Amino acid sequence: MHKSWMKRQSRLGYLFIGPNMIGVLLFFIIPAVYSFYLMFTDYKFMSPETNFVGLDNIRRMLNDDLFGVALRNTFVFLLAVPVSMGLAFIVAVALNKSVYWQKTLRALYFMPYITSGVAIAFVWMLLFQPTSGPINGFLRGIGITNPPGWLSTTEWSMYAIDIIWIWFMLGYNMIIYLAALQEIPEELVEAARIDGARPWQTIRQVIWPLVSPTTFLLLITGLIMTIKNFGIIQAITQGGPGNSTTVLSLFIYQNAFRYYEMGYAAAISWALFAIIMVFTVLQWLGQKRWVHY
Amino acid sequence: MEKQIAANAKPTAPHSPKVKVRMESLSQIRKIILTLLMSGFALLMVMPFIWMISTSFKSPADVFTYPIQWIPSSLNWEHHIKVWSGADTFATYYLNSLKISLISTIGAVFLSAFAAYGFARIQFKGRETLFLIYLSMMMVPPQVLFVPKFLMFEWVGIYNTHWALILPGMFTIFGVFMLRQFFLSVPSEISEAAFIDGAGHLRIFFRLILPLAKPALATLAIIDFSWHWNDYENALVFLIDKDLYTVPLGLQNFILENNVDYNGMMAAATAGIIPMIIVFLVGQHYIIQGVAGSAVKG
Repeated sequence: MHKSWMKRQSRLGYLFIGPNMIGVLLFFIIPAVYSFYLMFTDYKFMSPETNFVGLDNIRRMLNDDLFGVALRNTFVFLLAVPVSMGLAFIVAVALNKSVYWQKTLRALYFMPYITSGVAIAFVWMLLFQPTSGPINGFLRGIGITNPPGWLSTTEWSMYAIDIIWIWFMLGYNMIIYLAALQEIPEELVEAARIDGARPWQTIRQVIWPLVSPTTFLLLITGLIMTIKNFGIIQAITQGGPGNSTTVLSLFIYQNAFRYYEMGYAAAISWALFAIIMVFTVLQWLGQKRWVHY
Repeated sequence: MEKQIAANAKPTAPHSPKVKVRMESLSQIRKIILTLLMSGFALLMVMPFIWMISTSFKSPADVFTYPIQWIPSSLNWEHHIKVWSGADTFATYYLNSLKISLISTIGAVFLSAFAAYGFARIQFKGRETLFLIYLSMMMVPPQVLFVPKFLMFEWVGIYNTHWALILPGMFTIFGVFMLRQFFLSVPSEISEAAFIDGAGHLRIFFRLILPLAKPALATLAIIDFSWHWNDYENALVFLIDKDLYTVPLGLQNFILENNVDYNGMMAAATAGIIPMIIVFLVGQHYIIQGVAGSAVKG
């Protein structure tokens, strides 16, 4: 190939990517590098001086009981992912073919996902109201005399958040499962049926293995999505009662913008990055080993 | 796999026509039962929304009556009026959200398309490395970036202005990734023919690729718009003045100031959700396609 032509191509390439690259540099790369530096300082907003403190922030994090609590809450939060996926798989299989009103039903299940945000947080806050809320009203109605206090108790608050998150993610998971189900060749399912497989057997032995790459992908991306989220929790409980709903991502926000411990917050945020990194590597490995397209 | 099924299943006789008819009506019944079951579950899924709307019209005394009053005994509009009038109203929040979401989305779609074309269609030095850097940035959680962005915006003086949301909002790595995927799928013969006719990359991009990519661009626009409209975290970090609040922040503000007015809370929540429901109903096809496509391919 011509050298001058290659040069021209390179110039054109940078011309196309340039505008976007400037933004990515300014709003992603430079902040990321700067945050990495902050991790090793005791930077506090509006403090007179900033010192380089080496690994102090990381040491502090590992000895911080609240960090442990936040980590545990994060894992409880992550439980919502597989549960939501399981429900979504059932709904997707049911909606894939054998029902009427398919489109309407899909839209209804997907609805929570697009209305993300504080609005639904407040609706659920009232639904979970412990003494007179509709959910506990229902539970009393079916004979549970002492229903949980949900968001107002430390034992239940994280599970209440889980329920909201399962509800929120279900439509998203369902849509992805539906896309995967539609890729399955009709003949395979038909062959199983002719061989005399009952519907349940077909689902377990034909459909479920065939969508396993999707299951894996949803699991990993769902975990990543969940671990980053704190808006819904910030809006409903602000991490309380006590610290019972303080997840890692919210803990970072609180340290940075409530206590202005920005160096410390940077250190925790890189811990969060490390967890996401593990999931991403798993996904990458998984794509090579388990995903059979 | 098929072997397993054959082993588990009992051998069945070939179906006679009579059996076939019976099976068809049986599957019809199964279909109806399944439809009813799935509708019931779907109703359960949207119940919070129905409860929200119905509560926003109830009188305060009826909020928590049990069994639930799904249809309010009288329609009370005053809660909705309260939400839309007063000092900081939802009208302000809507305008702010609309401004931020629209400018960000238009910018993001255009800038992503440009970059995606570069990554997909032009051979140049360092392209793969650059793309890898882009992808690796998707791994960085927003929490890592909040503090440095906060300090940076303070320093250049855009903290607590809408620019703090609009400028970063115009750059979406997901958008570049998604459109690159689409541009790669456009056959190269199309641009080769144009090259022979003497057209350059710019011309091909504007005249050929962009028109072809309209569905992909619309998908990105809708997904991006809804993301900006619902974005609470960035607004929470970068805005303080009430007259700058977006809908999610305004909603939070309303609820902090009226925390015992449950009807008002639900009227405010309704106001916060309605625009996205409209966008969803209009762009349903694109949203579902885009969400499904990005995950399966990504």
